[in-house]
Amino acid sequence: MRFVIIGAGRVGLRTARVLSAEGHEVVLVERDADMADRARTEGYEVVEGDGSRESVLEEAGIDDADAFGALTSDLNTNFAACMIAKHYGCRTILRIDEDYREDIYRKYADEVDEIVYPERLGAIGAKNALLGGDIRAIADIAQNLQVVELTVQPDSPMKGYTISEISLPADATFLAFGKNDRPLAIPSSDESLEEGDRLAVLADFEVLDDVRQLIVGNAKRAAAGGI
Amino acid sequence: MVKAYVMVKANTGEADRLKNAIEEIEGVNEAHIVAGDVDIIAKLSVDSPAQVKVISADGIQGISGVEDTRTYIAMD
Repeated sequence: MRFVIIGAGRVGLRTARVLSAEGHEVVLVERDADMADRARTEGYEVVEGDGSRESVLEEAGIDDADAFGALTSDLNTNFAACMIAKHYGCRTILRIDEDYREDIYRKYADEVDEIVYPERLGAIGAKNALLGGDIRAIADIAQNLQVVELTVQPDSPMKGYTISEISLPADATFLAFGKNDRPLAIPSSDESLEEGDRLAVLADFEVLDDVRQLIVGNAKRAAAGGI
Repeated sequence: MVKAYVMVKANTGEADRLKNAIEEIEGVNEAHIVAGDVDIIAKLSVDSPAQVKVISADGIQGISGVEDTRTYIAMD
């Protein structure tokens, strides 16, 4: 696919990097000459200019882009750019600068298809590292609701039990199960939990610790993992 | 007659509640939720510049969820 991203800072450039690594075509728009140079040095096609100007976005090829990422740190620029990109028929992604604004833009900004708040994802990564390797946050669903992946440890209370015997707290739901090295899949009820198996659970923050006690136990935490 | 615009920076996602509370203040003609680094812009029309200050400092800033305001008095 073809993408236009405005902002070649820590968020935009990193996004361009992962998209390119997956074989997609990315054009960056950056108004700061030094940052534009740096992105060019890394091999990206960069248009230097203000990403909220239609002529600049046209030069970046907004006309035949599949999706548009407004990823600068300036919310006004990002929003104006999304309005233009929407007019050109792109799917639009807006980076916001403060988390309370997420609800406002979801409700009112018709020009915006998706909202990203990079600090939220950074916090998940930091939290994973702090919690240690036997519990890993996969996604924040809502403010109090999270999908986590837990790894069965040698002294886990549920070790040896089958899937159907697992009884989680009320505010938690078992989503997927992965045998030792195999990917997560829809669980079948007669599989049993062995050391190294992984479970994906949707849980409220309130019961997250109970879920952890049940699946992981009180074992010394393994090496920290991130996202 | 003094006209003024007040830019309101919130710290809550409840933009509707803030907009309604601001519009209920006497002297406020209208308020709109806007995109960008402020969240709401309110338009006032009152009799004196002192009333502008009362509305923005006491009225709007007193609403919970309002972080900051910036007021611009029209000169034309």
